[in-house]
Amino acid sequence: MKNAVVITGIGLVTPIKPFMGVDIFWDALCSGEDAIKKVSPPILDIDREWLMAGIDMSGGHAGLQGGCPEDKLHILAEEALSIAMMDANLQGDLTIGLSIGTVLGNILLKEKRLIRNKDGNITGESEEGESLSYINSFLKAKYGLKGQGISVSTACASGTDAIGIAARKIIAGKSDIMIAGGVDILSDFAIIGFHSLQALTEKKVQPFDKNRSGLALGEGAAFIVLEAEENAVKRGARVYGKVLGYASRADAHHLTGPHRGGRGLADAINEAMFQANLKPHRIDYINAHGTGTVYNDLMETKAIKASFGDAAYNIPISSTKSMLGHSFGAAGVIETICCLLSIKTKVIHPTINFEERDPECDLDYVPNKARQQEVKIAMSLSAGFGGQNSAIIFGES
Amino acid sequence: MKPVVVTGMAEINSKDMDSIIPNLNEHFREMRFIHDVEKLAIAGVGLLLSDAKIHFPVGSTDIALYIGIDDAIEGIKDEYFNSVIKYGILGSSPLLFPFTSPNAVAAQISIAFDIRGESITIPVKYSCVDVIEYAVECITGRHSRMAIAGGIMSSGLRNKGLRAEFSLLEDLESAVGRGARIY
Repeated sequence: MKNAVVITGIGLVTPIKPFMGVDIFWDALCSGEDAIKKVSPPILDIDREWLMAGIDMSGGHAGLQGGCPEDKLHILAEEALSIAMMDANLQGDLTIGLSIGTVLGNILLKEKRLIRNKDGNITGESEEGESLSYINSFLKAKYGLKGQGISVSTACASGTDAIGIAARKIIAGKSDIMIAGGVDILSDFAIIGFHSLQALTEKKVQPFDKNRSGLALGEGAAFIVLEAEENAVKRGARVYGKVLGYASRADAHHLTGPHRGGRGLADAINEAMFQANLKPHRIDYINAHGTGTVYNDLMETKAIKASFGDAAYNIPISSTKSMLGHSFGAAGVIETICCLLSIKTKVIHPTINFEERDPECDLDYVPNKARQQEVKIAMSLSAGFGGQNSAIIFGES
Repeated sequence: MKPVVVTGMAEINSKDMDSIIPNLNEHFREMRFIHDVEKLAIAGVGLLLSDAKIHFPVGSTDIALYIGIDDAIEGIKDEYFNSVIKYGILGSSPLLFPFTSPNAVAAQISIAFDIRGESITIPVKYSCVDVIEYAVECITGRHSRMAIAGGIMSSGLRNKGLRAEFSLLEDLESAVGRGARIY
């Protein structure tokens, strides 16, 4: 990418060691801590157990009806955003923009309204706070961010696209500093929806394993501070890494299933590599979308092979979702932070629950144990409903 | 800066969409639509590509989609969740649930017209100005050569219907190269 964009701040709240800071989160992730648990939340009148990774805010089943505050989305987003801003040491009269990826937004408010009005069968425009664009305007006002605000909703690629858009805004000269992030929370709406699609595992999340049986839902918030390298140097900011390339591509295939050959994801990888002007052997690590569903993991493996050729077999690939579940709009940003921390700490976190090799998924998925390895360039992949595919590449500063 | 030009425009209201779909081609006449939002989007983009003299199915990554959507999507969510509230877990429709994601509109456009370029959905409130601006930035930044930019809006309409507005944005060189009419 022309006009280098660097990352100068990171912040997140995830189901692993929530509210305890980035370093403690990273240590736990690298030790293979599994946040996915079987719980029996009070979802409507349905009596059953579900595997999921929730953030415990109050001792109850966080994120689920009756067990958490309605404004959980805002609490998580504010916490992660504050950490990132403090980490970047943003001071003075700066014009800062905000790019946020979210899929469900504050769905809890909508759920409560619909349940409250269930006899009236209410439909129509959302109420204040429910709209997907609301969280952006709320955070901009709360933190006095005077730059452009943009919301992104590209299903499970939303977080990655929010970062890519923020980087392009800086390159286009629209802003010197952009904060990019993602936030989504667990809800009855999502759990029942993914259940109806038979996408949820009833055993455990096992990305790339032969016996993988589905994903688990999660939640979280994550933000990073991006700025023009020139600006970061001028104010003496600490730099985590550079954005080297980013691309989004559509499968144009099916609303819920990925293209079986990974066509769209391979297109996104190839374009991001072209923008970064990199040859395949230069990639030291890939943070996979790695949901643990049969079709995603096979598609992703095929896409990586199609793009990298023989070099694919030498690139360590791991799945953050094996430990955190799938946090929708937050996932891509959490996984970006994992890439940056791998560059910083020279450690690659594992893919946990990896037990039996799938002959068709035959790459190096860093099974069960973290790996000490120098990472100079890392790529994060995201895919989602509607055939969304995104690839973003980061390099050491 | 790379000049960006408009080579196609389309505007359509939901009350007119049923008359548009049959005129596209046989493929679209056979499509089954779950919700008016996607039907309107397909009709709008069909009109746009015809206006811009772009043949479809496109079958390449040459065209990007930058789609804004306001609370038009909320009606689908309400319909889905009201059914769950009424019938419990059996009320959860695996057909309808995917359409509760705002990017389902862009997804259906990409599938229907085989458009494989960038696909970005931007939730908006009152206008699609941010969407158009980003599309222009992507073309000037050479991330896309051509872009369908616009959106589906429900607010501000007296008849409570939906409105779709799309433009085809293109870099000048590309437009001149294919002899496109420039608005």
